[in-house]
Amino acid sequence: MTVAAMQPVPITLTGIGKSFEHGVKGRIHAVRDVNLTVVPGELLTLLGPSGCGKTTTLRMIAGFEQPTVGDIHIGDKNVTSLRANERNIGFVFQNYAIFPHLSVFENVGYGLRVQQKPEEEVKRAVAEVLELVGLAGYAQQHPHQLSGGEQQRVALARAIVFRPRILLFDEPLSNLDAKLRVQMRSEIQQLQKRLGITTVYVTHDQEEAMAISDRIAVMNSGSIVQIASAEDLYDRPTNEFVARFIGRTNLFDGKLRTVSADAAVVEVLGQSIVAPSVPDGLNAGDAVRVMIRPERILLTNDEAVGMNAKVSSRTFLGEKTEYHVAVGDQVIQATLYGHGRHAAFAVGAPVRAVLPVDGIHLMRL
Amino acid sequence: MSSTSLSPHSPASAAHRDPFFASIILLLWVLLALFVLYPLACLFGRAFVDGAAISLQPLLDVVNNPHHRRAFGNSLILALAVGIGGTLLGFLFAFTAVRGGLSRRVIGFIDTATLLPLISPPFTISVAILFSFGARGLITYDLLGIKGYAIYGFLSTAAAEMITYFPIAYLTLRPILASIDPNIENAAFSMGASRARVFRTMTLPLSMPGIANAFLLLFACSLADFATPLILAGNDFPVLPTEAFLQITGQFDLRGGALLSILLLVPAAIVFFLQRYWLAGRSFVTVTGKAGSRSSVEILTPPMRFALFALCGAVSIVVLYFYALLLFSSLVVAFGANHTFTFKHYQVIFTEGLPAIRDTLIIAAIGMPLGGIYGVVVGYLVARKQFWGRQSLELVSMINYALPGTIVGIAYLLAFNDKPMELTGTAAIIIACYIFRYSPTGIRATIALLHQVDKSLEEASESLGAKSSTTFRRITLPLIMPAFFTGLGVVFIRSMTAISATIFLISINWTLVTVRILENMTELSLGPAAAFSVLVVAIVYVVLFLIGRMLARFRALEGGRVESILGG
Repeated sequence: MTVAAMQPVPITLTGIGKSFEHGVKGRIHAVRDVNLTVVPGELLTLLGPSGCGKTTTLRMIAGFEQPTVGDIHIGDKNVTSLRANERNIGFVFQNYAIFPHLSVFENVGYGLRVQQKPEEEVKRAVAEVLELVGLAGYAQQHPHQLSGGEQQRVALARAIVFRPRILLFDEPLSNLDAKLRVQMRSEIQQLQKRLGITTVYVTHDQEEAMAISDRIAVMNSGSIVQIASAEDLYDRPTNEFVARFIGRTNLFDGKLRTVSADAAVVEVLGQSIVAPSVPDGLNAGDAVRVMIRPERILLTNDEAVGMNAKVSSRTFLGEKTEYHVAVGDQVIQATLYGHGRHAAFAVGAPVRAVLPVDGIHLMRL
Repeated sequence: MSSTSLSPHSPASAAHRDPFFASIILLLWVLLALFVLYPLACLFGRAFVDGAAISLQPLLDVVNNPHHRRAFGNSLILALAVGIGGTLLGFLFAFTAVRGGLSRRVIGFIDTATLLPLISPPFTISVAILFSFGARGLITYDLLGIKGYAIYGFLSTAAAEMITYFPIAYLTLRPILASIDPNIENAAFSMGASRARVFRTMTLPLSMPGIANAFLLLFACSLADFATPLILAGNDFPVLPTEAFLQITGQFDLRGGALLSILLLVPAAIVFFLQRYWLAGRSFVTVTGKAGSRSSVEILTPPMRFALFALCGAVSIVVLYFYALLLFSSLVVAFGANHTFTFKHYQVIFTEGLPAIRDTLIIAAIGMPLGGIYGVVVGYLVARKQFWGRQSLELVSMINYALPGTIVGIAYLLAFNDKPMELTGTAAIIIACYIFRYSPTGIRATIALLHQVDKSLEEASESLGAKSSTTFRRITLPLIMPAFFTGLGVVFIRSMTAISATIFLISINWTLVTVRILENMTELSLGPAAAFSVLVVAIVYVVLFLIGRMLARFRALEGGRVESILGG
């Protein structure tokens, strides 16, 4: 296999839905009206809690399951009615699905042999790809002799060796221990960038998704709720589900006082605070959700800024300290990084909580 | 983008356009109709159709006949006794093997003693019992000096069947007991329960589904056993299978035989449905894939362990003694009268008996691969494919296995005696009987194995571009090879040792070793009968050993453990 990137193709899902009859619960919609374009060469992650439809969506792209409604295109080609073996995909399974009766070489070379490539080429391609995933010298090993991480690499090598048009990953790291998981995810990311193959990656781990993805599609109850880069999802979630699912957050009820082109004033926690932007279509007088991440909140003894608060709990975690402070009857989470660079606040002590303008994000209810 | 229409798709559209797959299903239905349903229909037709009218009168006549009623009652009592006794013995062995802390060598000794009855031709234990306790028996006559002791009757029949069938209970119960985490017992123990209480409240309830299953298996075996009562039951203890056999071979009354076998069908069907629908899913055992922890087991004190070991050892020695007796009697001129060493009996079986040996081996050699393939194909389709009538196919494929051999034999005799399907007198009918009667073990093994093989393996192959036929050949088939070998082994063992069904199907052209053993016994030439039995045990043992080696090779490749093909 040559590592040179081939021409990457887009993947387009149009109005994809999957439903089935359940004996007790009636008609179940596992996936509903998913519209999604994965741009050529990008790594897009489907992220969501279990049962949100992310794996079903991935399996429909692969061809293991048929959508009840909608079309799937890989490149220009409508592949909706094609089976998995006709779609030219590389799929990495959660449990790796290494063929237990075949050696590493036979596992990795399986796809090439199915295509009846000459044995010389199979040998060369397998050797190259094993080198690429760091398994040079493992060709004659059998799967049961391999560690979890090594099996993961075999699965990866097997999926990329025959230069598939797209790569699909179904929670590939969930069976590895934490340390290996971090290492493998950066290897997968580097490999994907090097090969330039359009990739869809499924995980329920938000940290993994943020680390690896160009863009993330957050799914809930069978639908995509937001597609954006990790930064945008974190800073500018479009709804409460995304805000809560990605990272820790403070959410308060607020009311718009004034709305102008580049700023708005919102009343929250009994204060009037300036917010940098407003969701489209909201006017003065409308109710909004006000989000602010815990690390954006400043705690200080400076009476000149912020609002009155009282420390109700303090958890020291080394690199950071997490506080709960009470403002009136509301509790705010605040996280202070840089131990030693700011004052420590004792439980029960009065404190001033500052909400900086650029940390405020408004959402519809 | 060529199309953006939101067209609805049928979920099965991709899986259901395979003419090859459809033709296999069709072929299986044709075979099952021909070799399972049609013979059964013939049996019922012969029993209930009188001219053009359907009549229950013949069945009522049979039921009202006190002799037949007694045979029915005797069959049930015998099956009950063997079911209870055999399960107790099997539990004793399984519990000792799992919890007794025995060395591997001792367990190997016990395994050998329990394997022998499983691979022996019928009559083996019966003959050995006759040699020991008969009128000129080694124990009754030579040792105790009792003259003219009559061994025949309920007790000796029940004892022989218990010894013959308890290994099945052992093999059923051992994995179940082994999968009970000793820490469950230890936990109960640590809460202050006495050993007896731990056993009563933990061990016993947890193994109850297995115990029930073992009982039903033995009940069915005894109900269907025709060979042991034929030798040992005597005139005062008639049972249904032998009565049906004598009705047909002695009085040439096919209809009477058919009716008697239908009586036998009632309890057999009850057992089958109990096993299938009542016991299924009742097991508490979950396979976690983790090897059982080797924590110290508190449930047995050393004296208890010794007592259990002594009991098992005693039973094992009795079994081995019977086989030693068999070997001895095959090597002396006339057991009980002239104990001069001779190879005469072996000369007889390899000259006069050679056609039977040859026929049996030919039939086994043809039936074995066909039965093995049939089992794997049916098992694969049932476990992995969705198609109309899937559950019915599985159920029908189990029928001949669940029915007592006598019924199957008589049904085949009725079905294939005349045109359009005149097969009587051919080897084909015997082979067909074996395949459809003994492959279900292979079917079950395939299904069980496929439940352990994750579907993602097949999907991985598909995602790599393989057609479904390629996936089956290169991925699925190698992974279900152990089940294939299990199927091969069982078909071979039964081809060498079965008699209850095939006794109705032999002819001048094709006969079987087991039938020759029966003929020898009725002619009182026990030497050749013993020699035949020893030969069968030796052949089956060698073939099992070879198959076990093949299995071990496949398992070793996957890093799995080697299991006995008779297990489960």
